[in-house]
Amino acid sequence: MPDIPQKEIEELQKSIKTSSQRIIAENIERMKKTSQNRPEAMQYFDEISNFFGQREKEIQAAKENGKKVIGYFCMFAPTELILAADAIPVRVSSGWYDAAKLGDRIVPVEVCPIIRSTIGAKMISLSPYLELSDALINVTTCDGMTKLGEILSDSKPVWTMPIPRVKDSAQATRFWREELLTVKGQIEALTGNKITGKKLKAAIELTQKATKAFRRLQEIRKGAPVIMGRDAMLVNQTYMWDDITRWTEKTEALCDELEKKAREKNWACPPDTPRVMVTGTPMIWPDNWKVPTLIEEAKPQGVLIADELCSSERLLYDPVGVDEWSMDDMFKAISERYLMASTCPCFTSKDGNEDRINWLLTKVKDWNINGVIYYVVRGCMLYAMEYTRVKRVLDHLNIPMYYLDTDYTREDVGQLKTRVEAFLEMLTARIDI
Amino acid sequence: MITIGIDLGTQSVKAVILKDGVVLSRGQAFSGFDPAKAGEQVVAEALKKAQLSLKDVKHVTATGSGMDMAPYANSTISMMSADAKAGVHLFPKARTIIDVGAEEARAVKCDEKGIMIDFVVNERCAAGAGTFIEAMARALEVKLEEMGSLSLKAERASPINATCVIFGESDVVSLIHRQESKPEIARAIFDAMADRVSSMVYRLGVNPDVVLVGGVAKDVGFVASLKRKLGIDILIPEYPEFVGAIGAALVAASRVK
Amino acid sequence: MVWAIVGEILKLMVLAGLGLAGILVILLWMKDLTRKATYLRLFIQVVSLVAIYYLFTYPIWLLAALIVILAMTLVIGRFFCGWLCPFGFYLDLVTLLRKAFKIRYRNLPEKLNRALHVLRYCLLIFFLILPFLLTPINPWQWPLSLFLSGPFKPIRVLIAPLTPLIVPWTEELTAINGVNLSYPYLDQIIAYSSVDLVWIFMFIFVSLTLASSFFMRRFWCRFCPTGASLAIVNKFKAFKGVPALHIYKEEEKCTKCGICKRVCPLQVTEVYEQKGGKINTSLCMLCFRCVEMCPYEDCLKVKFAGKTVFKSRNWLEPPESE
Repeated sequence: MPDIPQKEIEELQKSIKTSSQRIIAENIERMKKTSQNRPEAMQYFDEISNFFGQREKEIQAAKENGKKVIGYFCMFAPTELILAADAIPVRVSSGWYDAAKLGDRIVPVEVCPIIRSTIGAKMISLSPYLELSDALINVTTCDGMTKLGEILSDSKPVWTMPIPRVKDSAQATRFWREELLTVKGQIEALTGNKITGKKLKAAIELTQKATKAFRRLQEIRKGAPVIMGRDAMLVNQTYMWDDITRWTEKTEALCDELEKKAREKNWACPPDTPRVMVTGTPMIWPDNWKVPTLIEEAKPQGVLIADELCSSERLLYDPVGVDEWSMDDMFKAISERYLMASTCPCFTSKDGNEDRINWLLTKVKDWNINGVIYYVVRGCMLYAMEYTRVKRVLDHLNIPMYYLDTDYTREDVGQLKTRVEAFLEMLTARIDI
Repeated sequence: MITIGIDLGTQSVKAVILKDGVVLSRGQAFSGFDPAKAGEQVVAEALKKAQLSLKDVKHVTATGSGMDMAPYANSTISMMSADAKAGVHLFPKARTIIDVGAEEARAVKCDEKGIMIDFVVNERCAAGAGTFIEAMARALEVKLEEMGSLSLKAERASPINATCVIFGESDVVSLIHRQESKPEIARAIFDAMADRVSSMVYRLGVNPDVVLVGGVAKDVGFVASLKRKLGIDILIPEYPEFVGAIGAALVAASRVK
Repeated sequence: MVWAIVGEILKLMVLAGLGLAGILVILLWMKDLTRKATYLRLFIQVVSLVAIYYLFTYPIWLLAALIVILAMTLVIGRFFCGWLCPFGFYLDLVTLLRKAFKIRYRNLPEKLNRALHVLRYCLLIFFLILPFLLTPINPWQWPLSLFLSGPFKPIRVLIAPLTPLIVPWTEELTAINGVNLSYPYLDQIIAYSSVDLVWIFMFIFVSLTLASSFFMRRFWCRFCPTGASLAIVNKFKAFKGVPALHIYKEEEKCTKCGICKRVCPLQVTEVYEQKGGKINTSLCMLCFRCVEMCPYEDCLKVKFAGKTVFKSRNWLEPPESE
């Protein structure tokens, strides 16, 4: 980290924190305005979405009681192992635009903005969850991630987990399992708790319940829209830092309310609104809500029905499939769930990333998607290079797809608005035919 | 039925009064610092020419980058949809419409009804838009309107290295020092621009017939370069810079129903 | 006299037990949805065992039994192996024992598993030509010798897995109070070993098969020659409708999560690797564990004559322990 005078750090931290809280409040206001009859259960998620509020205090209190906090960036970190060791897992990817500018001081501008933002956030100790972490799990998914671990290791212990880029073979699954064993040892050493079969079973059942609530929410979105996309995305994303048991409860309550709304035909927006799906690089709260906001506040309005983002619907979609509840099988199930189920473009195979394409196809068909927005942050080679393959497949299905690339900046909102509105006009015209 | 289409572009504002698919009158002005005011001006101008008043107009639709600020507008439509609608209205066989404006270029693919199927926008590189010609004309010390005919005199294009608008001026100076003639430099500039625009269009896929609209379509030099680059014939309407406004007026007409 | 009454009481008890087991299965079905097919299969295996026991009290022609099983295979594939074979049932019980002790299972390396597939066919052919290697037979007597005459009937090898542990009418092994104990293939071992070594061979065979199936799920089934004869039918891709019962995969719904590959007791990889359509494999015994555990709705389906009978679910139900 470069030497920034302490005074500057404090000033920046204060200003970005204040503006961040303002943006969070603003986003929620806008979400409330766009949705007709917004579900009451969303209130909980609105509160938890504040980084600097209740959840920060809870984690702090838990730390004072001796619990450890383990942060992670990518979806590959084994949440179940962390929970079984009685530690708190929290995802610390950064969604602050202003922090990305700070990151430019250390790494080139071409680097992924999420990574620049994380570095910037660390420089001024902005992210409460990142600061509270006792260790960070860093998976070498892309180049940026690989080097991010190095940069952050100056301030926090970083456990690096290398990932095999071709996951289809027996040796890859064995390799990944060995890596998880290492991390298991590291978690046990940090927390001082041994991960036993019983505790692991309890942790797996916890996340299985969360998966069920999560899937239930996505199932409800198959029908006419009872919840706006941004609201659902917020619910999905709060899983990244919230207490899992409570999150599951609140999501189940939300699902109950939404099912009631569906029965009463109480829609969040007109049922013939173009149904849009977003796929691509993760969109982290609060600043990187730009594109969903544009979609849902555009004239003509669109509604985000599904997405293929690792910050939203890819978080919990796959369950840990345990066959026999022995320690060995549970461990195998966990390691395979994280490796095999991922549709991240960091993977490849002899047929390309067919996992992702199959997932997209199922979503497009079963959720009745009218158009797809392929969203890539500048610099992401992996997602950008998969674009042509995905486009080919969607062209076959005659589903329009639009490539939208942007950065962690508010300056291109005007340009994006034009494009998004043109795209939505196109979708509306196709629906009207 | 009478409708008005207003196109609030970055450089100029255009308005068109349409009656049952026929253009009654046009109005144009520079956007300046107050595009909304300029919009009012052009609408007034067009109404005066057509000897009509605002009461006779059923619906007003605005388009262009400043469409949200347009005066009198009942609704808005994106430039892409407007181009598609107008393109097919003017040339029934048009399926690809290329719109090169002052600061951005776009291309639209549409079907026979003028409904947009796909679109591509290039707003990041100014060397694919009208500003490029302006900047190069200044550097060459040639009048903007004469750039086109000048370039047609050249048999070949000078080799241009950097094609960035910002560095263009110093490029031109060095080219002249190397005894390159002005027509050849002019042609190279148009070729570079056509290169950018055509690579954008190729991303979309070229479906004949191809129509070129926007202010830059008036420039014969650019049209010649683009025809060469795309390798097919390009149709150009009579008043290409008004196509956006015409499209908006057509959309206005369809919205009255 | 006493034994006759005891026999009748035992019969009634067995029938009552079956009824109770049936109710238990229905109750379990309603509760734990991760194992629907598994519980049903265990129940059917018990029913099959009891049925075979009673069938074998009437001396039936072994040939007829084998023909019936082979004919069934044309329609339902290796359903016999997964749902009706008593030897398979015993191996499943051994697996349940292992699970109760939370001992982990072992997997064979891929290549070795594939090699065992080939071994099956070799074993099958070996047993079919064995009579000729042992005694000279006239060519036109060959078909009969396969089934009826001679000291060795290959048919007995193929029927061997049907041998329940207690067989009232065969002459194998020791009789305990008039009830004969037996184990599959032991009669063949007796036929071919010298009298001194027979017990050693029998002991080795029984302990090897039981121990290996304890650690490796359904070990014997991977190279069982009876399975080979059934599997041949599956290999004929030319016959579209054969067999009518098969697993079907929807290409687009599969995200290659690998759960099906991991939970398969026979380490079948075709369900994972094939892109879609009817799963062509001669190793699968149709236990449907993969379909039970697949977390994507409608991805894996069990189809009988084109109609879906069972399909993978959305995992929206509460977990096991609730």
